Amino acid sequence: MILRNISGVKNMRKLTENILDKFSIDYLRNQVLKNAYGNDDTVIAGLDPRVLLVWYLFFGLVPWFLNDVVFLLGLFLFVVMTTKAARIAPLVLFLFCLGVFSQTGYLFIAALFFGGSLDTAAPLLVMTLKVAIVSLASITVFSGLNPDRLANGMLWFGCPGQLSFSISFAYRILPVLMEEFQNILLSYRLRGCPPKKEGFIGKIRYLGYQVKMIIQSFYPLMLNTAKRSRTTVEALELRGYRYSIQNPAVRRMKLSMLKITRADLMFIGISAVWVCADLLLSVLISR
Amino acid sequence: MNPENKITQSQKLMVFVLSMSLYGLATLFTELIPSFQVGIVEFSVEYFLFIPLTLAMLFDPLSAGLGAATGELVFSEIMLGQFGGLGELEKFLTVTIGVYIAGRLAKNPLNRAVVAGAAILGVIVQQFMGCVVDILKVQFAVEEFEAVPGLPESVFFTEGFAFLNDVLFSGILFCMLPTLFLVPKLYGKIEPLLGMKPRNAENMSASPIPVKGVVLSIVGFAAAIAAELLASGGYELIDWEAAWAESSSAIIVAIIVAAVIALITIGVIRSKAASSKETV
Repeated sequence: MILRNISGVKNMRKLTENILDKFSIDYLRNQVLKNAYGNDDTVIAGLDPRVLLVWYLFFGLVPWFLNDVVFLLGLFLFVVMTTKAARIAPLVLFLFCLGVFSQTGYLFIAALFFGGSLDTAAPLLVMTLKVAIVSLASITVFSGLNPDRLANGMLWFGCPGQLSFSISFAYRILPVLMEEFQNILLSYRLRGCPPKKEGFIGKIRYLGYQVKMIIQSFYPLMLNTAKRSRTTVEALELRGYRYSIQNPAVRRMKLSMLKITRADLMFIGISAVWVCADLLLSVLISR
Repeated sequence: MNPENKITQSQKLMVFVLSMSLYGLATLFTELIPSFQVGIVEFSVEYFLFIPLTLAMLFDPLSAGLGAATGELVFSEIMLGQFGGLGELEKFLTVTIGVYIAGRLAKNPLNRAVVAGAAILGVIVQQFMGCVVDILKVQFAVEEFEAVPGLPESVFFTEGFAFLNDVLFSGILFCMLPTLFLVPKLYGKIEPLLGMKPRNAENMSASPIPVKGVVLSIVGFAAAIAAELLASGGYELIDWEAAWAESSSAIIVAIIVAAVIALITIGVIRSKAASSKETV
């Protein structure tokens, strides 16, 4: 019993440390911004966003309809290569792995309880493979591309102008918001008196205190952000934002920078050849 | 200028931007805070839904809901590169509908009982729709779902449990209590910052009729379900093809068909966009 308590406390300490590590806001901000703007010189970032979106539509839909393991593995290898070519930030990849494996692993363990056996694992693995292909394809496209180019690509396909505005705005406002949130949190921390974090109960109380403080600090943040969003919208109105997102001439001017180059054609070609070769391989093996 | 105190178009945009940036920031954090499990019960700060709930009760519910859904999409999905394509559509719709319903219900932000009830109802609606869609998704992705031993029960169990867990734990702790704390505190303070009057019975009724909203939310949920059912229908079609062809030619045909469908979709979307441009 005592031993179990000790390990519990240890786990708890590890957990709080882990959260605090992750909450180093500077680290987070750097990772996100690096992911967004840091890799403009990769092969993927140079491609036309429209081509990449169509490519994503293929790789995001086709795996769901197939159950051939060899073929799926081939697709998986290909998206791994494109992800590598896009030089994705490690934090994003880590989150991806965590998401994919925790979900299916959890389901597998639960299935074991209900009389499942190792036979249950095979279909689940195929499902994991499908999810992995689809998510890696989306990581390649959505974080390999510079957000402005991505927004333009989506605008070309007729997405509402609000979405592309939101993307550009989010990248601009996020560092500011994070810094402000950190400042508010620090000021709360300076004024507050945290409970002692000794013993198991103390740890829980401490964690609860932290969460409560985070929630409370949204109160000033909401007021500040309200002021800022009014300023933003008024500035937008002055420049005729709501008129311009509906005006075809403005849209055309904005999208005139999109051009399909030789690199795009090569990318399409390589993808097509790979998929065909993969198909051939899976046919040969299944014979 | 605005004698009836109606919410103007630009104020709606303000609410949208406000809800988007705040909820986006919060979801970015939740994406990064690891969840921890005690036995089978999972404790996670599931989401900071109290932010859009609070805003929906103070301002225009539809703008707040749409802003929150967009914020989640942009900040935590696209910025972190976790955009899941079609799956995000379902989340977008459920968050919008949940927040919208909660915002419409709380007519008087100072009545604590109503605020609490509306907040928890919004969470239940959102979670329930998400749960249904999740179950359908696994049924669709796993071949011969019913035949795999133990899988159907485990899916229903885990999803049902997650639903209860989310409503009772995250719903009460992270949605209802913070909303109860924030709404009366912000009421009357935050509205002047956006240049409007606090919500009361008169300007509530001046905003669009609830009937339209109710119909919209039913249609939205039906669309989410239909998308899933359509998808499972498509799956059966492929299954059937594989049964008669057995060989890979069926797969090749399927892939070509998929590619053609993708191109046609693009074409349709494109021409639609072009025609809408012309009409505007």
